[in-house]
Amino acid sequence: MKIPKLLQAVLVLAFVYFGFIVVFDYILDAVIPSSLLAMYMFFVAAGVFMVFTYDEEGTRELVAPVKAMVEDPSKRLWRNVVFVILPLAVGGGTYMKMLPNFEAPLELRTIHPAPPSTAKIYGKRVNFLKLENPYRKIEKEDPEAFRELVNEGAAVYIENCQYCHGDKLDGNGPYAAGLNPTPLNFQDVGTIAQLQESYLFWRITTGGPGLPKEAAPWISSMPVWQDFLKEDEVWKVILFLYDYTGHRPRSWEHE
Amino acid sequence: MNSTLMKNFFVPLIAATALALTSAASAAPGDVDKGEGIYVKRCLQCHGDEGDGLGPAAERLNPSPRDFTLGLFKFVTSAFDADMPLDADLMRMVRDGMPGTAMPGWSDLLSEQDMWDVIAYIKTFAELEGEAEEKLDYGTQVKSSPESIAAGNKLFHDGDRCSECHGAEGKGDAIKKLKNDNGERTWPRNLTKSWTYRASNDAKDIFARVSVGIPTTQMPSFADPKSKKKLSIEDRWHVANYVVSLAKTDKTVRPENTVIQAARVEGTLPTLPNDDAWNAAAPSTFFMLPQIVGKERFFKSANDTISVRALYDDTSIALHLEWDDRTKSIPGDNTAKSIADEDLAEDAVAVQFPARIPDGMEKPYFLMGDNSRPVNLWHWSSGSTEEAEKTVLEDARGIANRTAREDNAGLTGKGSYKDGTWRVVLTRPLKTADAENDLQFEEGRFVPVAFFAWDGSNSEADTRHAITTWYWLLMKPAANATPMLTGIAVALLIFGLLVWWGRNAAANKEENP
Repeated sequence: MKIPKLLQAVLVLAFVYFGFIVVFDYILDAVIPSSLLAMYMFFVAAGVFMVFTYDEEGTRELVAPVKAMVEDPSKRLWRNVVFVILPLAVGGGTYMKMLPNFEAPLELRTIHPAPPSTAKIYGKRVNFLKLENPYRKIEKEDPEAFRELVNEGAAVYIENCQYCHGDKLDGNGPYAAGLNPTPLNFQDVGTIAQLQESYLFWRITTGGPGLPKEAAPWISSMPVWQDFLKEDEVWKVILFLYDYTGHRPRSWEHE
Repeated sequence: MNSTLMKNFFVPLIAATALALTSAASAAPGDVDKGEGIYVKRCLQCHGDEGDGLGPAAERLNPSPRDFTLGLFKFVTSAFDADMPLDADLMRMVRDGMPGTAMPGWSDLLSEQDMWDVIAYIKTFAELEGEAEEKLDYGTQVKSSPESIAAGNKLFHDGDRCSECHGAEGKGDAIKKLKNDNGERTWPRNLTKSWTYRASNDAKDIFARVSVGIPTTQMPSFADPKSKKKLSIEDRWHVANYVVSLAKTDKTVRPENTVIQAARVEGTLPTLPNDDAWNAAAPSTFFMLPQIVGKERFFKSANDTISVRALYDDTSIALHLEWDDRTKSIPGDNTAKSIADEDLAEDAVAVQFPARIPDGMEKPYFLMGDNSRPVNLWHWSSGSTEEAEKTVLEDARGIANRTAREDNAGLTGKGSYKDGTWRVVLTRPLKTADAENDLQFEEGRFVPVAFFAWDGSNSEADTRHAITTWYWLLMKPAANATPMLTGIAVALLIFGLLVWWGRNAAANKEENP
């Protein structure tokens, strides 16, 4: 039996649509945003239309059932049903879309905003292009002394940072749930593993209020740590963050 | 591997295996030396070199880390008179952690064997060998039912058995100072806050706490035949079922709910905290955390959530704030003084709004604003024996830069304390004369809002208090007819087009059959 062309087109579209949902939402567990899906489906529909109307024969076959429904008196019942349901569906959709929305305004957050080239930290001008962790070189020179520095950093972390970033550095400290945005998860490969130590130094010492202009909407709760910690404590806590998570800081040399 | 599969299949499988292992091999051999290595990397920072709970953060943690040298553990299921935990009890704390404390669950970073190793090492601090011989007798669990809950309710309050410390409504509103064996101040659990239970508020866990008590604290065993308040196994199940029922409230935090929707009322706004009219507005509940961000950092605030309702009419907006506070702190009052820590201050609450609704995304700094973007604080304090409660409008440009306004721009407040809960209503006209410095409310606009609370019996004053970050307040406009009318218009238009098409087609067909 030959499947009518129109049904073929509908089946192809349905297959692609549910395919997207199955692959993204269920298999990959990354729910596809409805606006993105709508855009994909627009292109798919355009493609399907082009394939099915490639020649005149195909075009005629595709529109035949529609034409028949409108023109053929024997299909009058079908026509009447479609003519009632279609306007109701579109009208209903319009109504739903226009209902007022009481969802919180969307606040897209800039992740890892670019640092300024220089900033005033601990009362002196710091050049981020040249800034390095003064303790990093000890890692190779004297592993035992380095271990001691990491331990000192751990103490600073537990005393000051774990309330939000968590004992396991997973961004899930006892007060994390009360914060918006939620504290960063350092175990994740998308945070400190992507950054240089100088960047961490900048974000730690200047905190939420030190975010640059483009880092809207400026709602980080990160304290301004230069008010609470000494410079060497910040560098040691950075050593600890990398040591505990097993990540390596990025540096100019590797790139 | 994909994470859904992971979530739906493997995690339960692993959990089930873990459970099976825990119960089957409760005396699983742990390697003390390997355990020490793990302890040094993962545990030492809080529990200390010597296992005495005196790591660098000990002073700042609330509750403080366990002192392993005592060999006593709080959440155990050995018999009430055993002086040791079961290995499974220790495993549970290491594996799942303790909600509301700095102790996380370690099952994602440590293997089952790692955790047994570390438990073996922890036991060496108090030279514990093996585990308790006798387990807690759970008898036959009594399923929760209205009858069981009613029976539990009666036992809970009978002779002040539980309500003596946990309060008439289970909110832990203390009538006396409680201390643990180390002499540190402890507070009875607020039983309505299920997420703060260190070892879950499942009926079985509550049964265990009621039966064994919580060692090293003043929570006693109600299974102890020598206790005047002792309970049979069946009665303890009734109490457990009652306690579980206490946590079913509409004042739990729903993380997705970040908007307080103020409903419009016809007639007059309620100005008293206990007015039934407030029941018409659904509460939004937010977590509070200690003010650990600005100078001076404060680590042990008492208030951990706040529930907010809002109503408005043509001229004014009223906010209803409700938060559990175990103590009514009235400076000058002797009872309040006997319960409070050294410095007794007033209880207080503040609502923070930006001085102007921000045009873009740029909100004032969440911690009381800054120089370029000031905030309004609606500050209410409970008063003392000398002075009545007070509501003050403040301008703030930072946590250390608050100034009280001479006039209140029409802001008024009224508070009421009952059974461990403060309820405060703050009312202000929607518009004021000073549009430059006062927030002007507009229907349908999202307004940033944040909250601060002070527990005066916990020495909270000035910058020592609990905070939230920004949330939203929305004066919900009354429904209007536009969406309905547009929908109908669109439907009619489409219908008209279809009919026109149909008629045309029919006409065409007649012309060229």
